Amino acid sequence: MKSFLNGYTSFLQRVLTLLMGLMIVPVFLQVLSRFLGIIPRYIWTEEVARFCFVWIIMVGSMIAVRDGSHFDVDVIPKPKRFRNQGIFQLIRHIAMLALAGIFLWYGIDFAKFGFAQNSEMSGINMLSIYFAFPLAGLSWALFLGEKIYQDIRVIRGDPNPKLRL
Amino acid sequence: MSPGEVAAIMLGVFTFLILLHIPVSFALGLACIPILLIDPRLTPFLLINEMWKSYNAFILLAVPFFLLAANLMNSAGITERLVSLARATVGHLPGGLGHINVMVSMLFAGISGSSTADAAGIGSLLIPAMKKQGYDTEFSVAITACSSVMGVIIPPSIMMVVWGGLMSVSIGGLFLAGVVPGALIAIFMMGAVLIYAKTRNYPIYQRASFKEFLQSLGKSIFALVTPAIIVGGIVGGLFTPTEASVVAVIYSAILGGIVYRTIGPKEFPSVLYNSARLAAISLFCIGTASAFGWLLAYFRVPQALVDFISGYGTSIATTGFLIALSFLVIGMFIDAIPAIIILGTILLPLAESVGMHPIHFAIIGVISLAFGLVTPPYGLCLLISCSIGEIAVSKALKDVATLLLPLLILLGLTILFPEMILFLPRWLTPQFM
Repeated sequence: MKSFLNGYTSFLQRVLTLLMGLMIVPVFLQVLSRFLGIIPRYIWTEEVARFCFVWIIMVGSMIAVRDGSHFDVDVIPKPKRFRNQGIFQLIRHIAMLALAGIFLWYGIDFAKFGFAQNSEMSGINMLSIYFAFPLAGLSWALFLGEKIYQDIRVIRGDPNPKLRL
Repeated sequence: MSPGEVAAIMLGVFTFLILLHIPVSFALGLACIPILLIDPRLTPFLLINEMWKSYNAFILLAVPFFLLAANLMNSAGITERLVSLARATVGHLPGGLGHINVMVSMLFAGISGSSTADAAGIGSLLIPAMKKQGYDTEFSVAITACSSVMGVIIPPSIMMVVWGGLMSVSIGGLFLAGVVPGALIAIFMMGAVLIYAKTRNYPIYQRASFKEFLQSLGKSIFALVTPAIIVGGIVGGLFTPTEASVVAVIYSAILGGIVYRTIGPKEFPSVLYNSARLAAISLFCIGTASAFGWLLAYFRVPQALVDFISGYGTSIATTGFLIALSFLVIGMFIDAIPAIIILGTILLPLAESVGMHPIHFAIIGVISLAFGLVTPPYGLCLLISCSIGEIAVSKALKDVATLLLPLLILLGLTILFPEMILFLPRWLTPQFM
């Protein structure tokens, strides 16, 4: 399971890099077309850029759940005892899982809603963009499942919780 | 449900989740859920729909591009070039490296739109150098963090792009309005360095010759024209802010890849990845913040707030101080961009009701939120600088507080004398006013 999740993460990282590089192209074409006098043929560029944009955000949010880098605020100090840290993390991860569940459940409706539409300029089926939302919910849930499993091991007193899974 | 009840539930749930260390972006989304489930007209489907609508704004594309441009400039070694230019210009003043730190922050602020890139790039170069020369670590960290806030005030600025896009204010106008307060911060900070240096006997560099100055100017000239391209391009109507951000990316990629040859094909993907990931984390938070803000507006919370406050004071100055205070408080706890989305849209009707100029309102907001970058518990620039200087955040706080005093004075001046910031856009771009 762990190697599957590692593989999935590195796949997401590659996708993120690729999308960022790709997103530069349409916007730059748009600038070029203005100055070279090739007028609006390039309206689709905005749509391609937006497609990359939404996917960058959602893929980035998945990776950030895995490496725990979504910003949080340190108002209350973290507990000192190892076991209490586990409980603390468990609460945090279960709360995040709740939002993952919402994104997965309602995201499927949202994706169906997208399937019924095609974009005006480029004719892309909107499912290809809307699908990012339920997929994000599913991926967060996968990554959070791994974390919750580790938290429970910590609470049970496993000395090396990160080594197994 | 009444606006008061809705606000109490949403803010209550949000605060509770934040205290439990739930990430801000997730907490904002989760705080919407109870209301979306309780009210029969609403469903959690709307959370996703509102997020999607917020991402559909072409202007937000500028956020990842400006971050990418800043990171490319950092990896291209622009910072080193700016440091040698600053050394030749202000290095001979008492507390040389402190002044260099402030001046590089100012120059870099004109190139990038992000304060965190500023703190990371300059800090990793100058904090070790300052420690070596005998500056106190606390002071080195504090001056790096505090001067990096110029990144969001001096144009181009990611915060202003988002503000302008969200509240339909001219971004060119905002950029021009940021010039004077940005330059004043640099002057105030250098004054503070001078006082520190005199009392603590910090070292100085030998004065550079005019030839050395010209040489270092020549080495950094390509970097220094960036603000002219970006700000000039937007103000002059050559391109939109999003297009300007992509032009900045291409320009810095050419500088790093071809002119200076410091970014090879191996480094490029990692710069892409790091910029995309950081942008995605803050943009994700923008999404949930937008849903949160939309829900508050749906229940007319902003209007209720205006009605409540207008009973007390109605002058521009009192409203300005009230606005600044709200942004200062929220900025301590959450990132600036979600703060703009939530609080900016709540306070906009209030600012309009007293006849405050939209650009004045925006600059008060941006300067107040800039404090949030260096105030705990959530001050990204402070966190970055402390981790570079390898000291605990609590240790740097005293010097940070001292250096923030001049910034506080500047905020007060901005509130009381709107013409100080408005004259420049009025003069150069009257069509936007």
